[in-house]
Amino acid sequence: MSDSIKNVEEKDGVIIISTAGYFNNLAGDAVLEVFTEKMESGSTKFLVDMNDSKVVNSIGVSILIEIIEKLQVVNGVMAFTNLAGIVEKTFNIMGITKYCEVYDSVDSALEKLS
Amino acid sequence: MVSPISSKKSIEDLENQLLKKNKSLNEKYLELETLLDLTNTINSLDDLNELFFNVLTLSSSIINSSKGIVLIKNDVSNIFDTVSSFNIEGENIKKQIFNTRSGFLKKLNKEKKSFIVTSKDDFNHELFDSKKALTSPILYNNKLVGAIILFDKESRDGIINFEKNDLKLLEAISIQTSIAFQNVKLLESLKKSNKLNENIMSSITTGIIEINLFGEIEFINKEALRLLKKDENEVIGNHFFIIFEKNNLLIDLIQKVESEQKRIFESEFNLKSKSKNISINLSCSPVFDEGKSFSGIVIAMDDLSKINKVKSTFKKYVSKNIVDKLLENENSLNLGGEESEITILFSDIRGFTSMSEKLSPKQIVKLLNKYFQSMIDVVFKFNGTLDKIVGDELMVLYGVPLKNENDTENAVKTAIEMFKSLDKFNSKIVKDGFEPFKIGIGINKGKAVSGNIGSEQQMNYTVIGDTINLGARLCSHAKSGEILISKYVKNSLTDDYKFKEISPIQVKGKSKPIDVWVYKHK
Repeated sequence: MSDSIKNVEEKDGVIIISTAGYFNNLAGDAVLEVFTEKMESGSTKFLVDMNDSKVVNSIGVSILIEIIEKLQVVNGVMAFTNLAGIVEKTFNIMGITKYCEVYDSVDSALEKLS
Repeated sequence: MVSPISSKKSIEDLENQLLKKNKSLNEKYLELETLLDLTNTINSLDDLNELFFNVLTLSSSIINSSKGIVLIKNDVSNIFDTVSSFNIEGENIKKQIFNTRSGFLKKLNKEKKSFIVTSKDDFNHELFDSKKALTSPILYNNKLVGAIILFDKESRDGIINFEKNDLKLLEAISIQTSIAFQNVKLLESLKKSNKLNENIMSSITTGIIEINLFGEIEFINKEALRLLKKDENEVIGNHFFIIFEKNNLLIDLIQKVESEQKRIFESEFNLKSKSKNISINLSCSPVFDEGKSFSGIVIAMDDLSKINKVKSTFKKYVSKNIVDKLLENENSLNLGGEESEITILFSDIRGFTSMSEKLSPKQIVKLLNKYFQSMIDVVFKFNGTLDKIVGDELMVLYGVPLKNENDTENAVKTAIEMFKSLDKFNSKIVKDGFEPFKIGIGINKGKAVSGNIGSEQQMNYTVIGDTINLGARLCSHAKSGEILISKYVKNSLTDDYKFKEISPIQVKGKSKPIDVWVYKHK
């Protein structure tokens, strides 16, 4: 597992990917790899926990948009939780939050997604 | 005619172009927002480490660099240390020496503007595991004090070259960072300066009180609190009317300074402090701000009680003149038990024992007190130090604790004037029916050890040594109306003084007779 991915687990049919550190090209690719593998296994619900990623760049964000596009084709769902203020602001400006939900905690996300 | 297929394709092209434009617009918006955030963040920080980390994360985020460092010049070594890093690990970087003598820092120091680092700039990319770098200066008073370096611009196709826009963005960030750095440094310097002021204010022996434009006490130091016998909490923020409620005169003075905006000085001002009155030297000064507008008052108080204590203690032994000189220059005071040259004068009353037998104890004390008062006035007139009064004997020192050029002459002048003063004293007591006092005086000069001598319970400033003993012997040999002096005294005098050499005298403790000169009053 990449250093950018802290943990991957499945709960109530939702794949929770916990990231760590700078969410850039590397972290984006690591998430894309996990996503591709899980999607091929049939998963369509994803939650990205960014509690330990306080900085993102636009390359990381563009990879997330790629994932969202792929999920939309299969009627999947992507959601985020534990976003730092500056990260949430970036997501808003880059338009990500138009296509997916942001939750305060993993539990509240699971409640809605599962 | 346009076919449906080509029409569909041109719509798709337009859609793609629109999406690209929209993305580009969003990215610009993000840059602006991030810059705004950065400005707000760095201007609200007063911790340099936090400042630099924020600069690195936010600039990396908008420029899409993969990592970054901030270097800051060490004031002592002039080496640029890595003070913050983002997404870089490794102790090697911290150990790396950067300076302005070579490499990219040399260029940055010279040009003082952002640039994309190239192979010409002698940059060690291996150290940072990087391929590309972008750097921008941190300036303080237009001097290079640091650098922001961002590495490896990311794209979906790997690492790409930094662009002009990145340069402009980092330049804008580094200008903001430089301003924030200056602010933090100024704040640090202000804090240091305040701390220094606090230390000075708390250690000085002058009480300081600062009153603001509204009459509230803004600052008070330890000494002023001690003088007022108050706690800081009950003083700060309170109006001076409340703090000085028992000191109407002080309130009047403050109001006078407020209205006239001129400094007032009052010596030996009586400050009422709880149950006690304290004598102080008081200075009340108006304070003006940079625009020269009146902004408050500073009161300075010097406690005179300590000085007065010294004065009243010493005044018993030395003249006011000497006390003032000693207080002016403490170094001139020699109390440490050192050997020095002194002149000593002894005087005693001839036939005092038989005289006292005819008087009551009360009459003896009254007469002696009057006699000594008139003699001591003369002693102080010529800057003598009254060492002690033993019975009817006076012992006076010259040259300690304060040395004067004419100490010996002063001793002789004292002796001569003592006789004149005695004549006046005698004429008064004779009228009252008492017998006149008769005195003899001996003066010697030489080395003696002076200092505070005695036990812990009682310690007195005095002198000891052979010089003293000979002075006492000369006094005991002097007849009524005579001043006997040794050759050491005679040699220090001019011929203006009418001393006559007499036969040498044999004194106790000396194997050979001593050469003696005499002055006879009347």
